[in-house]
Amino acid sequence: MVLKRSKLVTSLVGLLVLLTIFVTGCSNTTKDQENASAKDQTKVLTFSWAGDIGDLNPHTYFPNQWFSQAMVYEPLVYYGEGGELKPWLAESWDVSKDGKEYVFHLREDVTFSDGSPFNAAIVKKNFDTVLANAPQHEWMELINQIKSTEVVDESTFKLTLHKPYYPTLQELTYIRPLRFIGEAAFPDSQNTFKEGLKSPIGTGPWILSKYKKNEEAVFIRNEKYWGTKPEIDKVVVKVIPDGESRVLAFEKKEIDLIFGNGVISQDSFQFLKDSGIYETKLSEPTATRALLFNTNRETMKDLKLRAALQHAFNKQAVIDNIFYGTEKKADTLFAPNIPYTKINVKPYEYDAEKAKQLLDEAGWKRVKGKPFREKDGEILQLELLFISTDNIQKAIAEFIQGDFRKMGIDIKLISQEEETFWATAYEGGFDLLFTASWGVPFDPHAYLSAMTKTSENGSPDYKAQLGLPVKKEIDRKIKETLLSTDEAKRKMLYKDILTALHEQAVYLPISYQSNAAVYHKNISGVHFLPQEYEVPFTSIDINK
Amino acid sequence: MGWFIVKRLTSLIPILFGISLITFILLHLTPGDPAVAYLRASHIPPADETVAALRVELGLDKPLYVQYVEWLGKVVQLDLGMSYVSKKSVWDEIMLHFFPTVQLTLASCILIVVVSLPIGIMSAIYKGKLIDQFSRIIAFVSVSMPAFWFGFLLIYFLSVKLDLFPVLGRGTFAHLVLPSLTLSFAYIGTYMRLLRASVLENLNEPFVMYARARGLRERLIVSRHLLKKSLLPLVTGLGMSLGNMLSGAVIVETVFAWPGMGQLFVTSILTRDYPMIQGCLLFMGVIFVVCNLLVDLAYSFLDPRIRWEGEK
Repeated sequence: MVLKRSKLVTSLVGLLVLLTIFVTGCSNTTKDQENASAKDQTKVLTFSWAGDIGDLNPHTYFPNQWFSQAMVYEPLVYYGEGGELKPWLAESWDVSKDGKEYVFHLREDVTFSDGSPFNAAIVKKNFDTVLANAPQHEWMELINQIKSTEVVDESTFKLTLHKPYYPTLQELTYIRPLRFIGEAAFPDSQNTFKEGLKSPIGTGPWILSKYKKNEEAVFIRNEKYWGTKPEIDKVVVKVIPDGESRVLAFEKKEIDLIFGNGVISQDSFQFLKDSGIYETKLSEPTATRALLFNTNRETMKDLKLRAALQHAFNKQAVIDNIFYGTEKKADTLFAPNIPYTKINVKPYEYDAEKAKQLLDEAGWKRVKGKPFREKDGEILQLELLFISTDNIQKAIAEFIQGDFRKMGIDIKLISQEEETFWATAYEGGFDLLFTASWGVPFDPHAYLSAMTKTSENGSPDYKAQLGLPVKKEIDRKIKETLLSTDEAKRKMLYKDILTALHEQAVYLPISYQSNAAVYHKNISGVHFLPQEYEVPFTSIDINK
Repeated sequence: MGWFIVKRLTSLIPILFGISLITFILLHLTPGDPAVAYLRASHIPPADETVAALRVELGLDKPLYVQYVEWLGKVVQLDLGMSYVSKKSVWDEIMLHFFPTVQLTLASCILIVVVSLPIGIMSAIYKGKLIDQFSRIIAFVSVSMPAFWFGFLLIYFLSVKLDLFPVLGRGTFAHLVLPSLTLSFAYIGTYMRLLRASVLENLNEPFVMYARARGLRERLIVSRHLLKKSLLPLVTGLGMSLGNMLSGAVIVETVFAWPGMGQLFVTSILTRDYPMIQGCLLFMGVIFVVCNLLVDLAYSFLDPRIRWEGEK
């Protein structure tokens, strides 16, 4: 019997042994130990991101991530503090008087990470491959405006435009698609959009050294980098889809830095801040969280109703209770620290009495015994569309529903998953919609430009504004602004456009989003860069 | 036994055919145009002409049965098409994500067996005693506690506070402990009680009485005679769970940043990556069928009556 019993035990032990062999067989224990000992000498920063970094191609979009593209590839012109345009791969530039010709003098000390030279020829080649797929980049007006690209000499590159498009330099600062890959990175067909890259070769401060899809990516410092070299040797980017897991990994010191907007919940940020063990920072406003009103719908056509909604919305309550004060109250569509957007208008302050009065004036009257206001027998019901997986939108939507009910407005919540949400938004299937400005360097010019385009390559804003009596004039002014060469006139036009949008009460700005950074005390040099999606890996240092 | 296997394998053919048909039709019934989804995934504005041109290129303009036959022809050669998002082969992506899932599933299965087997038997033999009460509590907790919460608790106490295991990711044996514990926990409670019930039922069977009458020792009765028969419901359950786990455990994978099938499937749904959704669905269907086959084979091994019936 003892024999039999031991048989059962042996089979169980056998199973365990099998498991151990199986697991260790496909693990890299030894490698990790090596890493650990190497970590003592080299400075490694571990960062995390919600998704995979993609194939690291500067000429394409999703699944590529902005921050990783910005680590490896660089622009001709850099978007500096307050919108200042700084020389980067181009040392200087000349713009012709008519505003149609841009001549760039390139830096001569730049090489790609594989040692190949950075010159006018490779700049032209990159521009041309992007232009070959122009329809894919239609959202970016500069692409539509480029007439020709030309190599003047080894280090001079000339860009000719159809029209004097003023935000040219600004759009050259974008993280994609106009950044540069080395000759050896081009695929055989030369079409980087369709075929992808042979390998990610850029001029930036980081080089991709190891990549495991959906697990991690390792970047090492580019020793040949022309600019200020990074302090740390390596950046490890781990894929962690869940925000709470990210916080736990951070507490365990498995990651050193949490950075970005919405990467952890507001509760978690507050918790980490209150613990006092970590450093936390919030950036200046990056973009505006807002509600877009669909004026193309019969009910919402009425300016009085829109104004009533503006006064009925208690922003401060949302900021205190949903954001725990981590986002600042917004009064205008763009934060005033963005170029051209400081306008002198009277904000719509929270005032329930005024809102009720405006509703009465608009004809939406209280009916005895009924919870909602009515006009000609019709109930005041508005559809609010939001993304089902977005917890912040959901929380705000529920707050609005409850708060507006007190004023006799029935808010019908419609939750859709992201793809469907956008499809519905483009079709104009909403009364109120969550939206956000795009942040710099896209704000204000690119966001406004998209308002003038039909939904195919613009934004839901176009259709939503169709009910405005001044829509045509706004569109005309936006187009005029983008092609104006006179700075003073441009300022005037921006002021007119933004004032008109404010007076028409078509956007309800809620709060200014900002980037959050949480890091351990041994890390220094964490500051916010002008572009929301850039992570300051280059200035970060780890103190032992 | 050989005849039994052959018979079961032939019965697989119509089932697999059915799966492929359902997978194909289901996706074509869902609202939304794959051509538009492709364009959106590639960040190309879906203008009418572009969509029309792409429909021809992707073969979406052909009659549905032609599309199905062409698709099936490719599937048989393991060509599941190209992902709209990553532009890589769907089969390669599935294989990349399947291995971590297999790893997690095997570890969890072993945990389930190693934990629920002894406790289940003991709580039947010592019915109403301390061990039985204990297993009942464990069962309640395991069934009612959501996986994500249990996962976070494990991470918080065992990893952050006690520093025993890493929080996330794959790699070493230690990385596997917490996710497999989380994944298996929900099943352990169920199987423990399932086994207990089955042992209790069999304890009153004539063959046990006969064994007792022969004067065999209780331990021998349990390990030689009772266990094999009582395992049947556990095998059925485990077979189904195996299919479930191999199709990916979305929540556990998300909490522990484990790059498995669940994550691949959910991401492909969110990005409307049609070929990937189709590939995953088909793959999961096949996995289920294979698991069922394994269960049947295990059955016939455990209970010879089943295979004798087949051979008659």
